Amino acid sequence: MSASQLETLHHTSSHSPPRRLSDGQFALLLLLPGGALLLGVVLYPLVAALVTAFFEQSLVVPGRTFVGLANIVDVLTGDFPRLLWQTLVFTVGTTIFPFVIGFALALALNTRIRGAKVLRGLMLIPWLVPGVVVSFLWMWIFNANYGVLNALLESLGVIDGAVPWLAQPGTAMTAVVVAKTWQSFPWMMVMLLAGLQTVPRELHEAAEMDGAGTVRRFFSITLPQVKGIVGLVLLLELIWNFQHFDIIYVLTGGGPAGATQTFATAVYETAFHGFDLGHAGALGLLWMVLLMGLVVVYIRFSEKGEAK
Amino acid sequence: MSALTPTRTPVPRTPAEPGAEAPARRPLRRDLLRSERPGVRIAAWSTVVVFGGFALLPVYWLLATALTPRDQVFAYPPRLFPATPTLDAFAALAGNEQLFVYLRNSLLVSVLTAVLSVLVSAYMGYSFSKFRYRGRRSLMYFVLASQMFPQALLLVTLYSLFSAYGLLNTYTALVLSFTTFTLPLCVWMLKGFFDTIPDELIEAARVDGASRLRIIHSIVLPLSAPGLIAAGLFAFVRGWNDFIFALTLAGPEKQTLPPGLVNTFVGEAATAWPELMAASLAVSLPVAIAFIALQKYLVGGLTAGAVKG
Repeated sequence: MSASQLETLHHTSSHSPPRRLSDGQFALLLLLPGGALLLGVVLYPLVAALVTAFFEQSLVVPGRTFVGLANIVDVLTGDFPRLLWQTLVFTVGTTIFPFVIGFALALALNTRIRGAKVLRGLMLIPWLVPGVVVSFLWMWIFNANYGVLNALLESLGVIDGAVPWLAQPGTAMTAVVVAKTWQSFPWMMVMLLAGLQTVPRELHEAAEMDGAGTVRRFFSITLPQVKGIVGLVLLLELIWNFQHFDIIYVLTGGGPAGATQTFATAVYETAFHGFDLGHAGALGLLWMVLLMGLVVVYIRFSEKGEAK
Repeated sequence: MSALTPTRTPVPRTPAEPGAEAPARRPLRRDLLRSERPGVRIAAWSTVVVFGGFALLPVYWLLATALTPRDQVFAYPPRLFPATPTLDAFAALAGNEQLFVYLRNSLLVSVLTAVLSVLVSAYMGYSFSKFRYRGRRSLMYFVLASQMFPQALLLVTLYSLFSAYGLLNTYTALVLSFTTFTLPLCVWMLKGFFDTIPDELIEAARVDGASRLRIIHSIVLPLSAPGLIAAGLFAFVRGWNDFIFALTLAGPEKQTLPPGLVNTFVGEAATAWPELMAASLAVSLPVAIAFIALQKYLVGGLTAGAVKG
């Protein structure tokens, strides 16, 4: 910071500390502690991680060798297409399903049915429990030999014998998406309900006088009014799910046979189980580029919302 | 507006069965007493029953399993109601010393995260709220975006960084990283709070000769106490729920409950399901309490300033 303090010096008096800093400098000073944290714990590690993409480097052995684009080529010709596909399946699945369930519940609880308030509180429970708890619970529900889901489906005659939901490639991703959906939909519900409550009742009443039915009113009044919040929750959910780690890692560890591996779990595995920082960085670089696309859209979106 | 109050209009508590029209003997405000149309009501209730089942049956199963005696948990088909409910699982947890180490770590780290987050975010939020300077908006959005950088990727080098400074397996590493990840949310929340403090008040204090720091400490922060508490609770919950950082940056003696429970229960030949479910309940409890305290600020904080609350 520059010290152009001359003009403030004559303001000093004996009982108040001298104003040495201009307002702008003081404002920057306030940003320092948080700024230092963001630089040290987010920005520096992020840039450093992206740089490792161009080196051959191990987590446990010091030193590194520059390899140019070799890691990125390895990744692109190797796992990348499969990981991209699986990450997209997971991300889209865990955004669409919670959105549909959350929106349906928000609409239902926005009507004047009895007990809406209590019901809404109860519906929030899945979102309040820590991610690992969500994983433990669904691990138990999906358990092949003693799980309650298999017992239920068997008694209905849907399946025959023990289905290892989490341990076979064909069903593992679906199971993980179900668990994540269970955790996410309450948040969607709360946000959308908040949006629905900003729709003025008078609008609906006026439309009803004009003879518009429920469906018509939903499409002509409700939907246009909550467009903003819908866009926001979808974007945020996409961004979060695109990098979700906990539930996948605990439920399946990315298995079986890599069927539930996403960018998040693959980067983690490569770095902390394979000790291969170069390839983890290369994968991370590609992941980051895709993610930032979403983040830019989100920020544009927020700025538009602020300008209103 | 609070997100958790459904409508400003109280729903009448009529003793009638669902579906009955509100009795005519209730005077005035007929428009509020008018029930929804039958079609709407049926649709609403079917939605609640179907999706409510998806929401709550697993919760029931968590409770039921926690109360099931160990020897009955591996019965197939499972009993939907524990025949002889027992608190054995909870008793077994209480006898597990390692779990108490995790619990102590979780409490310590989460509380420190809350305190540090509030402190750091308050200065930052105040700077964004009450000062105008070049690059302010870009900085604000950078702070907002910083929580969206992939944590699994940050850890790749964060691990080496903490290792170089001898901070691996310390509370410091956990508190610093948790605080950084709660910052964006807390900064935006507190900025929103400070925005509501009239500039005239600050100007008046300045005219009286109070220094800028003193204005923050004696006027702004006390006035924003509810906001500080809300932000602190958010930070606490984030720290309490974190898994990936505690898993990676700390060992068994400094680890928090989430990775601790995975170490304790997962991957054994026969998982002690009742105990795991009991532990899950215990871990979820503080979050539920924090949430109840937080209801008012929920949506405003969640959208992290992205929507005018």
